[in-house]
Amino acid sequence: MPTFTYMTRCDGCGECVDICPSDIMHIDPVYRRSYNIEPNFCWECYSCVKACPQHAIDVRGYADFAPLGHSVRVLREEASGTISWKIRYRDGRVKEFTFPIRTTPWGSIKPPTEYAAPDANALNSQLLAHEPAALGVENLPTLPVLGKKEV
Amino acid sequence: MFTNPFTPLAPFVSPAVLQGYIVLMALAVAIGTVFDLLHEKKLTFFMQERKRAKAAAKLQLSAADMAAIATRTLVHDVATFGEFCNRHRRISHVLMFYGFVLYLITTIVMVCIYPADTHTPVVLPILWNIGVLMTLVGGYWFFFFLRVNVVHDGQPPWRLVRADLFIVTLLASVTFALLLAVVEMAENSSATKVFASLYLFFTTLLFVSVPWSKFAHMFYKPVVAFQRRVEEADGSSDLPTPTTKGGERCPHSRT
Repeated sequence: MPTFTYMTRCDGCGECVDICPSDIMHIDPVYRRSYNIEPNFCWECYSCVKACPQHAIDVRGYADFAPLGHSVRVLREEASGTISWKIRYRDGRVKEFTFPIRTTPWGSIKPPTEYAAPDANALNSQLLAHEPAALGVENLPTLPVLGKKEV
Repeated sequence: MFTNPFTPLAPFVSPAVLQGYIVLMALAVAIGTVFDLLHEKKLTFFMQERKRAKAAAKLQLSAADMAAIATRTLVHDVATFGEFCNRHRRISHVLMFYGFVLYLITTIVMVCIYPADTHTPVVLPILWNIGVLMTLVGGYWFFFFLRVNVVHDGQPPWRLVRADLFIVTLLASVTFALLLAVVEMAENSSATKVFASLYLFFTTLLFVSVPWSKFAHMFYKPVVAFQRRVEEADGSSDLPTPTTKGGERCPHSRT
């Protein structure tokens, strides 16, 4: 079910271009609006659908059932921290669901860019970058260093 | 310093020709927009969307409701370009729109009412220059730093595509208008002829290229914004119901 853009809703902000993990959302050279350059490569992650601030991106069903009238629409509200889904089934039923996007306030998690860059010695550490601080714990268990005899 | 920039053109182009030119350009925009609406089936699309929304409406909106929605659309979406979630794009469009409108109105007044009058009220050329500068600031800011294919698709600013036809002709027309005013002040006759020719060429291109450029999007956007607000009000929107009032508009954007 590849994505497509409602040209009348899109304001060409480029959020979908940035977020698409498949790099298939690009900018149309005629209208300067986003479009899916290769629908076959869309893996239906819904990243662009959720990220679009104008709700201009939708997902096209395959030809065998799209004419039957289903639809899936997403509304992301960062103010309330919720994401809502409106599902229209092929028999005409409509169901809406709302879920929390996250359990912590926006901006409350320190991004990796705000941590100091690790030095070269950190390559020999068993810990990943910024661990354990980034995980919010004081220590992490590490494997004991084995002697030659033990190997 | 601030004089009617069209008065020195009188020896080369008669005022009547310039006035006829303005009428022709207005006709070109009107015909171009109608052609675009019909040839690209945009009118059909708008009508189909309206029909679909009417059929899916859960509420019957009164005339007062529609008037309130129209006012909100006019104030928020048209007058202040509130549909843009990106602040920079919004400011650049406000500068370009109001600058161009100011430039256009003062041009029409100076050409039609004070064509060869050396006593043009000084407020008109001042407003004309303000309009030109606003258009150029907003336009060049948009062209070099805000165009989405440059900023997000990684294309170089000089790679021009069909979507750039409007912004390029607009900037070229207004830039040569300013240069024309400058060489007129310097009283350089040959330079005035050159810049007047370039100005007229790009201005003609700007208005005649409506069916192929993004010129008409300034007319379509308010219609779409109005339709979107009507759908939200009468329940025909296919989006989920927002959990907070107004929460659906412009979520956080990095750009």
